[in-house]
Amino acid sequence: MKKIIELKNITKSFDGEQPVLDNIDLDIYDNEFLTLLGPSGCGKTTLLRLIGGFETPDSGDIIFLGDRINDVPPYKRNVNTVFQKYALFPHLNVFDNVAFPLREKKVPKEEIEAKVHEMLSLVALKGFEKRSVTRLSGGQQQRVAIARALVAHPQVLLLDEPLGALDLKLRKDMQVELKKIQKQTGITFIFVTHDQEEALSMSDTVVVMSEGKIHQIGTPVDIYNEPVNAFVADFIGESNILDGVMLEDYKVRFSGQTFQCLDKEFMKNEPVDVVVRPEDVDIVPVEKGQLIGVVTSVTFLGVHYEIIVDVNGFKWMIQTTDFVDVDERIGIVLEPDAIHIMKKSEYSNLYGDYSSFSNELDELSELEEEDEDE
Amino acid sequence: MTNKKTRSGGRVAKTSYYATLGPYSLWAMFFILVPLVFVAYYAFTDNNFNFTLEHIQRFFTATSQVIQEDGSSKEVYTYLVIFWRSLKLAVISTLICLVLAYPLAYIMARADAKTQKTFMTIIMIPMWMNFLIRTYAWMTILQDTGILNNFLTFFHLPGVHIIGTEAAVVIGMVYDYLPYMVLPLFSIMAKMDVKLIEAARDLGCNGFGVLRRVIWPLSLPGVINGVTMVLIPSVSTFYISQKLGDGKFFLIGDAIESQYVANNLHFAAAMAFILMVVLLVCMGIMQVLTNRHVEGGK
Ligand SMILES: Nc1ncnc2c1ncn2[C@@H]1O[C@H](COP(=O)(O)OP(=O)(O)OP(=O)(O)O)[C@@H](O)[C@H]1O
Ligand SMILES: [Mg+2]
Repeated sequence: MKKIIELKNITKSFDGEQPVLDNIDLDIYDNEFLTLLGPSGCGKTTLLRLIGGFETPDSGDIIFLGDRINDVPPYKRNVNTVFQKYALFPHLNVFDNVAFPLREKKVPKEEIEAKVHEMLSLVALKGFEKRSVTRLSGGQQQRVAIARALVAHPQVLLLDEPLGALDLKLRKDMQVELKKIQKQTGITFIFVTHDQEEALSMSDTVVVMSEGKIHQIGTPVDIYNEPVNAFVADFIGESNILDGVMLEDYKVRFSGQTFQCLDKEFMKNEPVDVVVRPEDVDIVPVEKGQLIGVVTSVTFLGVHYEIIVDVNGFKWMIQTTDFVDVDERIGIVLEPDAIHIMKKSEYSNLYGDYSSFSNELDELSELEEEDEDE
Repeated sequence: MTNKKTRSGGRVAKTSYYATLGPYSLWAMFFILVPLVFVAYYAFTDNNFNFTLEHIQRFFTATSQVIQEDGSSKEVYTYLVIFWRSLKLAVISTLICLVLAYPLAYIMARADAKTQKTFMTIIMIPMWMNFLIRTYAWMTILQDTGILNNFLTFFHLPGVHIIGTEAAVVIGMVYDYLPYMVLPLFSIMAKMDVKLIEAARDLGCNGFGVLRRVIWPLSLPGVINGVTMVLIPSVSTFYISQKLGDGKFFLIGDAIESQYVANNLHFAAAMAFILMVVLLVCMGIMQVLTNRHVEGGK
């Protein structure tokens, strides 16, 4: 696969404060759907703006097809952006918005017409040519922005949380649509989101960031199944993160029990983080359990129940389709492939069990109520 | 749910809106419309308040002799010449104001709040002074023995003769009316979304392209407001021309004033009426042109 963009040791800070991006190394390949995923304020937009040419790095290089482009202005880069709030030109109608980059390139009139119509049918907006962009719905504006960014056929398209302002249903539709457009055009997409589900479902490659650093680069399946540290494990999906000790290859001890696992090449008795996904836990009768706990809460979520189980003071989250009752004693079995071992990191002690989980939910629903009142 | 609430809220607001509009419209009628009606009434009547077109006619047909530079005399339409000169100087002043104010407003709009405030104060300070005093100040600066020429001779540069030329009148008008151009431009540019400028650069525009294709069209309503607010007072200006023009450049405002002072109220009203009609037509044309230009928006 051909490398299209290489970021080498990129560091960026604003006004001499601590770096917003800290030593970023990232290769982006041709034809790839790559997602930058991380919590708010971790530097995703800044990274995108560096690639787009709206910021210059303090140190490090941005390489585009082998050329260093640190100081190349945006209009000379073969990269286009779909902005977070679309940034459509309010004085132009749909057609003229999409035709904007072509007119700048002095493309002949007939060719402009043809290309704009092609783009508008790609984003399913045929017949909207004369419409003022201020009279479009959010989803339609979104699609105009995508058409406008794609019409001049850039090699890379940057999308900064393009679906953030859409409601859930439209969001799902647009995810499918975007993925389809990316496949059809073969353009490299660099997509920013802080929604992990969106990242996992759309991407070829996911880049997990926090506080200006990249934690992990990999396929969605890798990132989910093999998180490199407690931060990634916690950020992507739900996970039970426990303190453990690696006794020897394929043998780990935690919660006072020894378990078989698939991991090896750790030092003898090395302290490790153990990750178990809620859906990988099997519930069995008490006498057959490797661990035994008491159910403290049960939430019905449609496809499954989400239950919290207290095992010697550690609150596990478990997803199950079997009904269990609060205060019931149950046994837990963990198959070797349910257990994932990670080296200790600076994030190890930040994520505990689910003892505060119910409180968290209460706070969230309170927040939502306040929103509705407004 | 939220939608419904605002909608019904809107209905309530509308009734009370009309209620408050009532007294206000009376007030506006009285103080804005009535004087205008009187101007029109005087313009089309003679001293005995009988209908006549005599004054309007006089404006278009009155002639007088002027001595040209080579000594020969020539017959010209008195008021049309004055009117044309007023229009010319006003248009020049307005254009200069626009050229000066546009970049200033742009820089101000992109500056931080503190710088904006400083700029704003500097621009507003002259407006705290009476405009007669401002005009006198410019007289002392521009006179042949004034501050400017003293300054030039101090550096052994040749002096310039400005006072009593059209340039002096234009300088005076630009100085007086510049704030009226800066303010509407600034307010529209401050509202402009920076992301639109970034989007234009992203889509292939260099600096000039961004100005031509995004900033300028989006700022057009501000330009129209600014031009209106400068053109109208400068077309009808008087006094500046008398003082800085050394009385050599009689403008339509001066003509109206002198007729009024000479108690020819009806002819003064006729000139004011014609001026008003011409300006209204100009503004109308400009509105139509820009509406066509910003059609995509709104
Ligand atoms: N122009 C700027 N000047 C100063 N600080 C900035 C600037 N732009 C970004 N920052 C800071 O850099 C950090 C990263 O910002 P950035 O916008 O890249 O985050 P993000 O990951 O895109 O967040 P979000 O998901 O909320 O959009 C933030 O702490 C922000 O305050
Ligand atoms: Mg962002």
